[in-house]
Amino acid sequence: MKSLIQATIAILVVSALLMYAADAMSANGGKSGKDTLTIFNWGEYIDPDLLKQFEKETGIHVIYETFDSNEAMMTKIKQGGTAYDIAVPSEYMIEKMKEENLLLPLDKTKIPNFKNIDPYFLDLPFDDNNEYSVPYFWGTVGIVYNPDLVGDLDFSSWEDLWDPSLKRKVFLVDGAREVIGMGLNSLGHSLNSLDDHELRQATNKLITLAPNVKAIIGDEITPLMINNEAAVALTWSGQAADMLFENEDLDFAVPEEGSNLWFDNMVIPKTSKNVDGAHAFINFMLKAESGAQNADYVGYSTPNIAAMNLMDKEVVTDERFYPSEEQRKKLEVYKNLGPEYLGKYNELFLEFKMSIR
Amino acid sequence: MSKLSTSAKVYLAIVFIVLYAPIFYLVFYSFNSGDSMTNFQSFTLDHYKAVFEDSRLLVILINTVIVALLSALISTIIGTLGAIGIVTVKDSKMRNTLLSLNNVLIVSPDVIIGASFLILFTMVGIKLGFASVLLAHVAFSVPIVVLMVLPKLLEMNKSLIDAALDLGASKKDVMMRVILPYIQPGIFAGFFLALTYSLDDFAVTFFVTGNGFSTLSVEIYSMARAGISLTVNAISGLVFFVTILVVVGYYFFTSRTSKRTGGQQ
Repeated sequence: MKSLIQATIAILVVSALLMYAADAMSANGGKSGKDTLTIFNWGEYIDPDLLKQFEKETGIHVIYETFDSNEAMMTKIKQGGTAYDIAVPSEYMIEKMKEENLLLPLDKTKIPNFKNIDPYFLDLPFDDNNEYSVPYFWGTVGIVYNPDLVGDLDFSSWEDLWDPSLKRKVFLVDGAREVIGMGLNSLGHSLNSLDDHELRQATNKLITLAPNVKAIIGDEITPLMINNEAAVALTWSGQAADMLFENEDLDFAVPEEGSNLWFDNMVIPKTSKNVDGAHAFINFMLKAESGAQNADYVGYSTPNIAAMNLMDKEVVTDERFYPSEEQRKKLEVYKNLGPEYLGKYNELFLEFKMSIR
Repeated sequence: MSKLSTSAKVYLAIVFIVLYAPIFYLVFYSFNSGDSMTNFQSFTLDHYKAVFEDSRLLVILINTVIVALLSALISTIIGTLGAIGIVTVKDSKMRNTLLSLNNVLIVSPDVIIGASFLILFTMVGIKLGFASVLLAHVAFSVPIVVLMVLPKLLEMNKSLIDAALDLGASKKDVMMRVILPYIQPGIFAGFFLALTYSLDDFAVTFFVTGNGFSTLSVEIYSMARAGISLTVNAISGLVFFVTILVVVGYYFFTSRTSKRTGGQQ
């Protein structure tokens, strides 16, 4: 009995000491309102120094939280409980959030640095006029490959994936739109196709890819590629950039037939308690200096032209990650397909998955 | 336990190697001066320095430990009382129902528990943060504690209680001097299991964190998207080291008390 009481007291004392320590380290934490800003972003998706700079410049205390999927992020914003002032969803999720009425329209007069963004990335189908969102990072879907393991294939065409020499060597991301979109692109169709015949054709084509497919997986592909354990993977350029950073032998290509252009964007959720602060933060992140510093740190492609001027020439002229205007014409942003066709895409993707053994 | 055959020793050694190898591999690379876990370049403490310089990560680490300690403590108290309550139920049908309800909570998926808590908390109006995480952790730990304490209670000889009552002990005395000391090993086992459950829970915690309060598992999950950085190795190494200290401390503590009580139980 005595030891039970002793243990209880010990635990309480230790907890109290730890609480005191945590409190001392994060003065002013846990409150949301005028002088704090709660940011909800992907993990490892910002240079932490920028947050400190922002705090110093504006006196606003930043609470920074991370998520690992669009869906999880939306669930928490929709359910409330925390007043997020900034979130960074991907383009299709913004469309959904707009439909659910979860976003506040932006006041552009408070974001003078908006002019720094390449017009090419503005006014896109998921958010006309950029009423709710500001591009944060962007990229493409393409093929990351290990030249030592694939012979002389260079993946300038999607056809290369079907090459018989790649038997059981190809990894695909587990996304219906990415994979079906790739099938459509390889036939020269739009990846937003709503044509049943084209979709059928694309699926049939994909099924012939089945012998080459090793696995359909998610983020696990990164360590596999880095350690030279996999030869070819269909993935997003951002992920590919991470892989190339770790393993310089790898290469990345966006096939010429066309591909997907994806975005992550800053938005202000309706729950925001500090709308002015949120605008100030967006404006801060759009500054040339912050944009360049952030892109250097994260390694994804920035849509900020002014920032690109401050960055290493070698990086921003790398056409694998900053495609030329010619290439960009082939890139398409995902359109909202509507529930009926979204279901259809998923069904066809499932059919393709089942054809793999 | 005195003599193990050679083959048993070898088997045991293999089991321990398999269990510990990944952890040592991870800790080993936390001292790597390179950027990845592919090849070891040279020894450095930079990653540990990075952990201690990142005050956000430290606060999250401390929060994780506080939540684990407090939720394990509270759920141990509730769970122990609950187990005693279940045992004292005379009607066996009723007792089985209570036990099944307890077990359902153990086998139900974390994601569902997490989502239901999120809905409950926002409905009741509890702000997400420390309190919500603590409550959720207490909730999923209680059934585990019940399950750890119950066998001890069931193996206890009922005549012990009768004897104590015959000798004039009050109900309080019976509880404090007979039952609790007897089931103490179960209570500690329950506490430590609750502690580990709380430390590594991601699915429930993700839903109920908010307002700048986060735990290590949630943080590492979102960090892992960009590939596990060696900072994660360093922080995992620290947690592992502290865990070993706690376990060693616990055994030291119990062996000392058992020596004092003449090696009984």
